[in-house]
Amino acid sequence: MSDIKDATLTPEIQRLHKGMDEVWGNPKGLRALTVVNHTSIGLRFMVTGAIFFLIGGLLAMLIRTQLAFPDNDFMSPEIYNQVFTMHGTVMMFLFAIPILEGLAIYMIPKMIGARDLVCPRLTAFGYFCYLFGGLILASSLVLEMAPASGWFMYTPLSSGEYAPGPGSDFWLLGITFVEISALSAGVELVVSILRTRTQGMALHKMPLFAWYILAMALMIVVGFPPLILGSILLELERATGMPFFDVAGGGDPVLWAHLFWLFGHPEVYIIFLPGAGIVSTLIPVFAGRPIVGYGWVVAAIVIMGFVSFGLWVHHMFTLGIPQLALAFFSAASMLVAIPTAIQIFVWLSTLWLGRPRMTLPMLWIVGFLVIFVLGGLTGVMLALVPFNWQVHDTHFVVAHMHYVLVGGMLFPLMAGLYYWLPQVSGRMPSERLGKWSFWLIFLGFNVTFLVMHWTGLLGMRRRVFTYDTAMGWDLYNLISSVGGFMMSIGVALLILDIALHFRFGKKAPQNPWGADTLEWAMPKPPTAYNFVSLPEVETRHPLWENPELSRTIYEGRHGLANIQHGRRETWGSDALTGKLRETVHLPSNSWWPLFSALALAAVCVSLLVRVYWVGAVAALVAVVLLLRWSWENGAHPKMAPEASLEPTEPPLHYRTMNGPGVWTMSVSHLANGSLYLSLLFGWFYLWTVAPEWQMPETSPLSMPLLVLAGAALTLGTFVLAGRVRRLRRRNDAGLGGGMYLTGVLGALQSALIGVVIWQAELAPTESAHDATLLVALIYVLLHALLGAILCLLQGLRVGYGLVSAEMPLEPVVVLRLWHYNLVVYWTLFVAIWVMPTLLGGA
Amino acid sequence: MAGALAGCAGEMSILDPAGPAASAQFWVWWAMLGVSIVVALVLFTLWLYTFRRREQPKRTPREEQRIMLRWVIGGGVLLPVVSIVALLLFAAPTGRGMLPLPLPVGEAELIEVVGHQWWWEVRYPGENGEGDVVTANRLVMPAGEPVDFRLTSADVIHAFWIPRLGGKRDMVPGRYTTIRLEADEPGVFGAQCAEFCGAQHTGMLLHVEAMERDDYDAWLAERRVPPEPIGDEGDAVRAFGEHCAACHTVAGFPEALIVDDVTHDIVGPDLTDIGSRPTLGAGVLPMEEGAIAYWLQHHQTLKPGNRMPPHNHVDTETLQEIGAWLEAMDP
Amino acid sequence: MKHLFSLTHPIHLVGGLILWAVWFVAIYAGLSVACSMAPPDPQRGMLTGINIGVGLSTLVTTLLLLWLARAGLVAARRTSVLRERYFAHVSAGIYLFSAGGTLFVGYPVISLPPCL
Repeated sequence: MSDIKDATLTPEIQRLHKGMDEVWGNPKGLRALTVVNHTSIGLRFMVTGAIFFLIGGLLAMLIRTQLAFPDNDFMSPEIYNQVFTMHGTVMMFLFAIPILEGLAIYMIPKMIGARDLVCPRLTAFGYFCYLFGGLILASSLVLEMAPASGWFMYTPLSSGEYAPGPGSDFWLLGITFVEISALSAGVELVVSILRTRTQGMALHKMPLFAWYILAMALMIVVGFPPLILGSILLELERATGMPFFDVAGGGDPVLWAHLFWLFGHPEVYIIFLPGAGIVSTLIPVFAGRPIVGYGWVVAAIVIMGFVSFGLWVHHMFTLGIPQLALAFFSAASMLVAIPTAIQIFVWLSTLWLGRPRMTLPMLWIVGFLVIFVLGGLTGVMLALVPFNWQVHDTHFVVAHMHYVLVGGMLFPLMAGLYYWLPQVSGRMPSERLGKWSFWLIFLGFNVTFLVMHWTGLLGMRRRVFTYDTAMGWDLYNLISSVGGFMMSIGVALLILDIALHFRFGKKAPQNPWGADTLEWAMPKPPTAYNFVSLPEVETRHPLWENPELSRTIYEGRHGLANIQHGRRETWGSDALTGKLRETVHLPSNSWWPLFSALALAAVCVSLLVRVYWVGAVAALVAVVLLLRWSWENGAHPKMAPEASLEPTEPPLHYRTMNGPGVWTMSVSHLANGSLYLSLLFGWFYLWTVAPEWQMPETSPLSMPLLVLAGAALTLGTFVLAGRVRRLRRRNDAGLGGGMYLTGVLGALQSALIGVVIWQAELAPTESAHDATLLVALIYVLLHALLGAILCLLQGLRVGYGLVSAEMPLEPVVVLRLWHYNLVVYWTLFVAIWVMPTLLGGA
Repeated sequence: MAGALAGCAGEMSILDPAGPAASAQFWVWWAMLGVSIVVALVLFTLWLYTFRRREQPKRTPREEQRIMLRWVIGGGVLLPVVSIVALLLFAAPTGRGMLPLPLPVGEAELIEVVGHQWWWEVRYPGENGEGDVVTANRLVMPAGEPVDFRLTSADVIHAFWIPRLGGKRDMVPGRYTTIRLEADEPGVFGAQCAEFCGAQHTGMLLHVEAMERDDYDAWLAERRVPPEPIGDEGDAVRAFGEHCAACHTVAGFPEALIVDDVTHDIVGPDLTDIGSRPTLGAGVLPMEEGAIAYWLQHHQTLKPGNRMPPHNHVDTETLQEIGAWLEAMDP
Repeated sequence: MKHLFSLTHPIHLVGGLILWAVWFVAIYAGLSVACSMAPPDPQRGMLTGINIGVGLSTLVTTLLLLWLARAGLVAARRTSVLRERYFAHVSAGIYLFSAGGTLFVGYPVISLPPCL
């Protein structure tokens, strides 16, 4: 085997490396804030996530200190409630999801043989949204104004009447901000995995980790919008008094529970899937053989991704939902045991048929198995409705969820950390200190949480700040607290170990664990562009089948080994077969992501301190910045210094009709559609279920105006679709005019919707009916405006020569938005005008 | 919390069942635990064994495929399928006893419980047009027969849970939900709010007493007797009217003495039979002589954050008089 | 478009579960609406229109998914492209799971009254 050290570098190749460094390299100093590179941003995500983990862990230690003894007055109940609320919130939203996204952002392009994610500036934007949202949320702790309604923020406890302080606002605004980051990462991970795999890597040949991340990303895209909608509605209720969750005004607090858990349950699997992905990556490496039953694992991933959306009600078994409905959800919850068991036995048989080595990463995998299996078993118990009624909201549930989340996420993450550390730093981790920290964390965890099942069975509720000694819970709580502190010592040792290894670790060989995936073919420490040339890969185990690969890649013997043009490039390939389709031209470092995120942060903060006019101005600034950012795209001179290509290379993506941008728009609409469906769900839910819902006899909305607005939208879509059809025939006659015409029609639609809202004289603070109508109308209004603005900008771009028959991609992307608007508008018309009119005021 | 959550609220252990619903779950738990331990141990042993083996026989891909399928279909498909089908067939029906299904004969006793931040309102619906019997923080129920608890909330979501009798059920504002529970024998049980409901979620305990049917009927009959009107003589009565009656009801209290100068619309517990209750402040303080006066002076230290405003503006002597007067409220 | 209907296309990895999910949402929504609009008398036990409707939809969906699972296996046998056979097999497995999942989730209609 020969690796990078043995590469022969001709002067030409040396020039290539140098050119790559210039085009892709990170600037230093203040300009480091403009970096968009996935390696750097991925690391930033992970380091920030680790810091939030320490904050969350500190909060956990405060909880365990308070509960160590009966009648303890270490914390007042108000502070205790803030502490446990923030512990859950920080761990779930600011640690678990972002750090896994960070890992995916860092690892996916390397594993699929790409040079970056498909929207690098979006990656950077996502990071800043996460950072600012996290800082806003964390600042509430320092101000002693943290949310105190529990991490699932049940209404009405979190609403204005029972939580008058700003705590809930911190939560709602901060979390929504962080979720923007999750969504943007989700969208680009999906498109990157589907469309930028290296040449020849067909869908069924990609590493299993990519399957797991694909499922996770799609679940983020579909699963997060319900909570975003819920947060918007609750914040509207708190800020303006629209009674979405208030019974007296025709709302229903259970709607919040539905929206929250529609997100909340999939979220558990969003956290688990990447963890399982790490396990599926490491086990074959340390068993020294390919995973057996690749297809079984893919099936299990797909099943988990879907079924996890059918479980949300199992968090609500005691809420008084009809028993038969509970039975459906109970059964669906038990079904998840099957894909989980399939994966566990695939891993077991891989070890069985291989020659497993016990290394430090493998030790963490064994720890994962023990803890996760126990958590899974109590999970099946909890899926049983009558037993759930007993232990729901007790420490039994607290123990269960820590077993699942720590077992399913933290332990695999630690395994991954030790496994990939040499890839990041070029040095090997120590064996001894690492083992100490593993055993302290593993034993400390079990001491804390195994006994906690018992405390729960003895009747201790979750979220109590103290307990009476007569209950007989003293000893068990003390044991849990001791275990918690043991775990903290383990974490401290782990940090020490990682810190020391950067200084004292042995230099790592090229492929220290004998792995099969492409990230080990890279130089160490990693270069910003990953691979100087992009290899053709037609196997699931490129480095096992071709150990020379790291050298030949380094010698520039594969694709896209050219940097004269000064562009950042990676392959665009067919989603299914991996055949080459286009050369994707990626944007470079930029201030726009930071500035846009700053503007959004200003929106958040001004909403928080309730200075709404500043918020409105900041929102406007954010929109302008985002549009300005979008201007520098495609054929813009700042983007494309040169458009020449090698004759063998496929066309640049913006010169095709189906570049990754079309896919990004489609996946974004998956998220948008999920938000819209949640809104429709809220409308029908309140209509049929809310006890005090008032439906007026006749709709307050003007039917002729609604139809007219819809006609403008429909006509606009036809005009736009006609222009795109002509572009397909390489004909751009009348393109600019068509774009302006469509834009005007969009503006007309917006104006008409505005008139409908104005004429309806809604009383959104009086009734949930009017409030929901208003939100729905504003939703379509914003979409109409966006459609109009984008078309007008397209008209301008045609004038500047940035869009033409040679560069036809952008109108195709905009057409997707119009199609979406068309479907949403007319279905909404049926839901809010036709159905109430037909069914009458019920 | 000095003195702490009174132990007299009773035991809370799921593992010490005192009614059919709780017993069923008690056995379901031990059965599930037994199966789980076996599954977990077998799995861990197999997993660790794979690291211990020295020799590995040479296998053709076809043999490997067969071994894999044996594991994955046996362990990954059959094991969970058999387990969850068994759970669905045998364990899921154990919850039926908690549903308010029609009884073969007669009807179940109905008791309404309303959750408040942070106390319990308990109502015994009146028959034939008479008013409800209302009490607070103490639930008396007949033993040896099913009782339907009709639950709702006056503010946020709470949950009603008597661990030794059976499962919990949330109390949701604007809705009514019903859970059926039964106590095998007369006895005292603890109950607690299980859904986090704010600052004093911890201090929301309910004292449950199951009585023989005859005792229960007698207890209820005592309270169904229309109360004698209270004369407006006495400092305590006037002080109660001035400081307490805007939020707290005492049956038969003269309207004329009620001074309603509060701006909020919080309802406090009905105090008509407070003298007969075993605890104060929803299980925070045991009832004994002088306890009410002590509570009135120190309630914000005993149960920080509770909705009753502090009484700094009322002198101690008056509070003691009110306390003594209330302690006598025992039908 | 035509190749999307061929059972060798990876879109069928999610086909069975989409059908399952749509069915699941439909029965849950239908049950909720029926129970809030016209709850049947608890005395009638399990013999209500709601239970019968849900039960029938369970059977129909299960049969449809079973048929698709079989069709997937047939398609896998017919094609000679390795990739297509791979996706047809995995899809058939997921269709089978979805069929079992439908039956399992729908089964409680024979033992529980609808709206309590």
